[in-house]
Parts: sequence; C-alpha cells; structure tokens
Amino acid sequence: MTEFSDDSLALITTLKMAGLTTFFLMLIGTPLAWFLAKMQSRSKVLLEAIVALPLVLPPTVLGFYLLIAFSPQYLPGQLWQEVTGQQLAFSFSALVIGSIFYSLPFVVQPLQKAFEQLGTDYLEVGAMLNAGPLDRFFTLVFPMTKASFITAASLGFAHTVGEFGVVLMIGGNIPGETRVLSIALFDHVEAFNYSQAHTLAISLVIASLVLLSAIYLLNHQPKTSDKDGKLTE
Amino acid sequence: MINKLTINIESTHSQFSLAINQCISFSGIVGIFGHSGSGKTTLLRSIAGLNQQTTGAITFNGNVLLDSKNKQNIKAENRNISMVFQEPRLFPHLSVEENLDFAIKRCRHSQLDKADIIELTSITSLLNKSIRQLSGGEQQKVALARAILSEPKLLLLDEPLSALDRKSKKELISLLRTVHKKLKLPMIYVSHSSEELQQLAEKLMVIEQGKVIKVGNIHEVFHQLNNTQLIKQQTSLTVMIEGVNEQHGLVKLRVAEQHIFMSLEQLTDDDINTMMQLSSLRCFIFASDISISIIEPKSSSIVNQLCAEIKNISQERSQVLITMKCQQQEFFASISTYSLAKLSLSINQNVYIQFKASAVRTLTI
Repeated sequence: MTEFSDDSLALITTLKMAGLTTFFLMLIGTPLAWFLAKMQSRSKVLLEAIVALPLVLPPTVLGFYLLIAFSPQYLPGQLWQEVTGQQLAFSFSALVIGSIFYSLPFVVQPLQKAFEQLGTDYLEVGAMLNAGPLDRFFTLVFPMTKASFITAASLGFAHTVGEFGVVLMIGGNIPGETRVLSIALFDHVEAFNYSQAHTLAISLVIASLVLLSAIYLLNHQPKTSDKDGKLTE
Repeated sequence: MINKLTINIESTHSQFSLAINQCISFSGIVGIFGHSGSGKTTLLRSIAGLNQQTTGAITFNGNVLLDSKNKQNIKAENRNISMVFQEPRLFPHLSVEENLDFAIKRCRHSQLDKADIIELTSITSLLNKSIRQLSGGEQQKVALARAILSEPKLLLLDEPLSALDRKSKKELISLLRTVHKKLKLPMIYVSHSSEELQQLAEKLMVIEQGKVIKVGNIHEVFHQLNNTQLIKQQTSLTVMIEGVNEQHGLVKLRVAEQHIFMSLEQLTDDDINTMMQLSSLRCFIFASDISISIIEPKSSSIVNQLCAEIKNISQERSQVLITMKCQQQEFFASISTYSLAKLSLSINQNVYIQFKASAVRTLTI
C-alpha cells in the first residue's frame, strides 16, 4: 500500500469517526443541553463543570482514564466485550466513544445558551395553542434555534477531526481502523517526511478554515431593511 | 348555558402569596383589576396551567383542571384554554398566516371558519406579511385571531393593550367587544388600567396582595373603589346614544332619563359610523371634573347640568368626595373642604351637578 493510500484511509477513518461522533453528540447533547438550560438546582453548576472538563483537561488525561475504563479489567470494557465479543480499547468504537466525551462541550454549550436565550415565552404560547412538549420542541424550539444546532454540529465535527491526544491513547495506530489524519500527520513528521506532513497539515488548515467561515457566515446573516425600514434577517 | 369557573387556590411566591376562593359566572367579559404585583397575572397563569406552584382546585363547567388533593393537574396544552399575553409573542419564524395555521392544526374540534375570523379581526391585509413588518397593534390583533382559532372554551387576556398607543387601544377594545358578542366566548380580561376594564368588563374582580377585595358589577365596583386609593375617583356609566350633532361636535347621550352631552375633539366619519352602530356606550367622568351648585346655573357655558340629591359625604384630608343620586344613577364629585363649608352641603340636600361635555370620556370612539 502506498503512502498516499494510507493517508486516504486515514481521511476516510477520520470522516467516519467525526460523522458518527457528531450524530451521537447531537443525539445526547440536545437533551442534555435542554436539561441544563431548564435546571434550577444548585447541582447544575457541577454538571456544567463536568460537561466543560474536556475544554481544560489535557486530552491525554481524558485519554488515559478512558483507556483504563475501556480495558477488559474494568466494568465498561468488560460489558462491551460481553455484548460484542470484541475488545473495546484500540478499536474504532473506542475512538467514537472517546470523541463523544472529548467534544461534548462544543455541542452542549452553544445549544444550552440558545435554549436559555429562547426562554419560555414562545413555549407557553405553544402550550396555550394545544401543542405538547415534543410538538413544541420540533415546531418552535428547533426552527428558532436552528443556527445554534448547525453551529453545535459543525463545532463538534471540526473538533473531532482535529483531536490527537485522546485518539492516540485509546485508539492506537491501526491503518483503516484507528489511524486518523492527526496521527498520520504525526507519523510523517516522526519519519521526517515533511512534504507529506505539509500536504496533510495544509489540507486540515484549509478544511477547518472553510468550515469555521461557514459557521460564522451563518451566525452573522447580513441585515436588510424591509419597505418600512425595519431590520429583518 | 352559563359558563362557570370555580377557583380555590393558593400559590406562594417570594414577594407575596395568592389565595383565591371564587366562583365566576360568565354573563359577559369578566375583568380582573389590580396594581402591579397584586397577583392578577399569577391567577390567570394558574387558570391556564402555566404556574406550577399553584395548589388547590380549579374547575371549569364541572371539568377538573386542578385538584391537588387527588394529585390531578391537567397540563396547559390539554386544558382547552387560550391566552393572549401582554406581548403578542407571535412566532418569529412563521408568517402571519402560518401563525394562524399553527393554532388551526392543533385545534381538536375545529368549528370556526378561518376566513371568518380573519375578517372579524380585520387582518386580511396582513396575512402574507412577516411579523416584523407589523405594528404593535397589528401584532396583537394577529395574536388574538390565533388564540381564537385554537377554539378555546375560555380565553384569558393578560394586559394585551398595555403596550399600545391610544388609537390601537380603541381599535382593539372595539374588536374584543365584537369578538365576544359574535362568538359568545367566555373571556377574562386582566389589567391595571381601570379605563380599559371600564370599557370591556361586565363584572369586575379586584385583587390586592393576592386576595380578592371586591367583586361585582363593573360600575358598582368602580364606585366602591372611589373610597380607596386604587383608582382615580370617577362616575362610571353606561349611557344610551341618542344622536350626533356634527356641527358642534357633540354626542347626545341619555342617562337615567336625563340627557348629557359628550364632545368629540375630532369627529371623523368613522366615529360617526361607529356611533350609529352602537346603541349604548361606556363612559366615565372623573370626580374632579364635576362641580356642584346649590342654585340652578342658568347662564353657564357648561353644557351638562343635572339635578341630584346628596347621598354621602366622605372627607379625606382637604378633599371631600360627594356621592349624589340623579334618579337611579350615582354621580361622584370631588370638592375641597373649603367649598363644602362655603356651600354648607349636607346629606339629602338637592343640588345641581355640572360637568363639561369634554369631561365625559370613553375609549370607544
């Protein structure tokens, strides 16, 4: 297999990992953000701090504890092995689970902020017009906070693509399975293969720049005036 | 069938406690009056099912909405009650028509025709507009139409006119009156504005510090409140319209078999049309705008002069509130203690009351 094929494989693995992670992040992050936005007890602070931990912890710390948890000697790893018959540590599934923990604040925080800003006014009107909780969420909350959902998904995806420490600790470096772009780049540098490293690095920089520009563009829609001179989006 | 709402609830908050035990029969729009923080909005939210701290019992036409003893609390979306809030709260991601459709789609037993309600609330020209293009009054009209289209059994209105200018207020008051008359929809209207309530409500409930302090016919309750600091002292009237004198900008009204005149600063064709459609009119005269004479004022420029008998004199500091009866109609005049002494007024004395045509006020036209 050529170097180029290895990098392509790493790209596919990365996109697969980031896509799946983003899917699960939205699935878990949305109700968690809603719960945090509505929570009024004092334990909210603790829960918010736990969600935000990956922002301040060195990724290797998170990776280290996940590695231990995923090993067959500990309950999560044991349960996984019993159910799937395969070891969790150094697998693609481990990468996805680790990425979910690692990128969780990037999804939960923008959603929580959007839900808090939305308040309860429109939801009360929805209830007064006979709309139940799920109906209110999908027909009022979601369309009114759509930009935050796109931001959360994009940030979750981009952050997962760029992770290094956690995947190094729990994924190993198995081509086509756990070898992602950031690891491939590291390998090129270690092997003094700077031209390949440069190609990968600059591709990541450009892709990230395009993605972030798209997010900011979405969040800063130009304001236009209608015929009455009022500002509309 | 007369709709009946029974309330026996308590709700404790950091600033105050609400404790209401009332049975409300709907023979017209029911008004709830009280100052900010008196608990009127909390009461309305409790009826709607939006206040989670409320305990006790609420039933509407025999249907249980809340029964804390039996741990029964019907969710707001299942109570079949709609509410128009102080702010229109139109959904910003939907057009005017889509806001209306939101209500129609979730209506359980749709009987009203959308086109009829659009016409009734005069919002046909707004349908395709973005809600950002609407004025405050227009937004509130759409909010009202949306609430009606959800076909509630009871419509709650929480100070819906408080943020509007006088012109929009007049328009909405007339609209609410028409809606109530045509749809026979039970309504509770909450406000801290005695002026709005005087125009709309048949029955009034007054709330202070979370408790009902007065309840009854709108005019009677307002007259009872004249001895409190809650409203500006006034005579509250329902008068019959006898005719319009366009030349002098005066409307001839009949009250207690006597005629009085009301002036209109700018009598437009719309005002005249409105007047012709109405048979009666709600209006009020501030007690400070009524003066008393013990002899017949034959050569005065003041157009309204009525003969009345003094029924009560109550003094507070340097001001005196005189209650008089002109046939069956009570009038209230506020005079100084100096005038009281000068005229030597006493109970059962016959006097002449005077007030300018411009002192007769209304929000209808």
